[in-house]
Amino acid sequence: MSKKVLIKELAYVRSGDKGDISNVGIMAFNKENYEIIRKQVTPQKVKDHYKELVKGEVKIYEMPNIDSLQVVMYKALGGGATSTLRFDETGKAMCLGMLFMPVEVPDAFKPAKPPM
Amino acid sequence: MKKIRIGAGSGYAPSKTGEALRLVREGNINYICFDQLAELTMSIMSKNQQKDPTRGYLTQHIEGMKQVLPEAHKRGVKIITNGGGVNPEAAADQILKIAADNNIKGLKVAVIKGDNIAGRIDEMLKKGWKFTNLETGEDDISKIKDSILIANAYIGSDSIIAALEAGADVVVAGRCSDSALFVAPIMHEFGWKFEDAYWPRIGAAITIGHTLECADFVTGVASPVWEHVPKPEEIVYPLAEVSEDGTAILEMPSSGGGLLNEWTVKSQLVYEVHDPKNYIMPDGVADMTAVKVEDLGNNRVKLSNMTGKRRPDTLKVIIGYPGGFIAEVMNYISAPKALTKARRVEEIGWKNLTKYGIKREDVDIQIDYIGINSILKSIVPTPDEDQINEIGLRIAARGKNPLEAGMIAVSFLDMSPVGFTVSVPSKPRSYISLWPTLIPREEVPTSFIMKRLE
Repeated sequence: MSKKVLIKELAYVRSGDKGDISNVGIMAFNKENYEIIRKQVTPQKVKDHYKELVKGEVKIYEMPNIDSLQVVMYKALGGGATSTLRFDETGKAMCLGMLFMPVEVPDAFKPAKPPM
Repeated sequence: MKKIRIGAGSGYAPSKTGEALRLVREGNINYICFDQLAELTMSIMSKNQQKDPTRGYLTQHIEGMKQVLPEAHKRGVKIITNGGGVNPEAAADQILKIAADNNIKGLKVAVIKGDNIAGRIDEMLKKGWKFTNLETGEDDISKIKDSILIANAYIGSDSIIAALEAGADVVVAGRCSDSALFVAPIMHEFGWKFEDAYWPRIGAAITIGHTLECADFVTGVASPVWEHVPKPEEIVYPLAEVSEDGTAILEMPSSGGGLLNEWTVKSQLVYEVHDPKNYIMPDGVADMTAVKVEDLGNNRVKLSNMTGKRRPDTLKVIIGYPGGFIAEVMNYISAPKALTKARRVEEIGWKNLTKYGIKREDVDIQIDYIGINSILKSIVPTPDEDQINEIGLRIAARGKNPLEAGMIAVSFLDMSPVGFTVSVPSKPRSYISLWPTLIPREEVPTSFIMKRLE
């Protein structure tokens, strides 16, 4: 049996911008969490989760050295910081959306406390 | 083993001169490097220079040199900055003036040249080079060519290194890459060259530069562990002690606030990197999936096992041009029934537009329910209406001219529900669009000129 937890139980996040491209770094609290996130956070899942915020494709890169994923979302900032109509001009808050993404874990799974 | 200590004097503009000063005074550093440029900055600087030809550099930053330069000079700390913007020569003249006012004799200030390629676009088009837009794939630059504000290549550290070799005390650049400010002193001090034997170590230098280039972003700003950052009102800037073997220890002054640990460093390693195996910079291609991060405690973090590959044959260019106008209006809506009222006001807005003959699908518009979902949109659930005290209904619209943008936005101001509160619409503002592209490296020769105060 499995249950759902949100990524905010498993990782820290941070996002930035280049032009109209938003990138979200997902930093897992530990290796176990990293494996869960690595297997379940897919480009299609990210695209479905961000809905109207991300109009282009999504690419995901692995950084096993720091138990992190690099999620790169195209056409994701309403045109980019210089011309966007959004409040979050540089997409600094785009990462916060990732915290609300559910992933599946075994029923017995107890999320570790955040390291800080 | 030879070691050098490099501080980050800023990571963006405006910056905290006091923190640059603290690093110079307490960091025991050899170099202080100032990144001042975001993607938009060069276009703004260009507009400033059009108004006054002696401007076009980061004035607040150069003003800060009144404090930083005398302290740095006294301690033999060299200064490298890209705060020259579109007019590094004028910035250098200001720095020389500050030196003269402080009776600093013999100061050598280098000006880096070559990043401005605006005047070369026609010639390159004739040669058959297409300035394909890296984001949209468009390759017909002719439609914006005549309105270009700036076109600058992200140049590497070659000419900064040459200037340091010629004895520069201060190096003023325009659009060099952020990391080049840090790669240059590392390569200069250790005698590394742009040759096969050095690419892994240059990859390390780029990675180290990346951790420093946003300054306090690695010591507690924009931090996922923000609740644990001591004295956030006094977050210090970082420094790196770099060893000749290509490892580094990140540190920070102990007298202020901030936090430097495993998590703040990881936050910077994932920041704006995209493909982490191939972090492409003008000086090389760093592999961020190799670096080992060791938290040594006491705000010290060791970086090792860094590597990289040969530098690319092309350089990134950003072209800035006038995009159009943005207008914004706000309706502030209170409970009871705040959500119902806000939705009604929005619907009335759409009907107003139809009256003016404007079709819904032709409008370039953003509608935000502030307090509900203005940032994360439909990722977050809408609360029950009885849980909502108030909503800011914000409408932002783009148009080709101020009138068009303004008319769309103002259509959404509505006073029909009792208790309306609307803001007076502000004047539509112009915005700048960017066209990111590439140019062959050999088409962007760089150089420096040395200015000296006798």
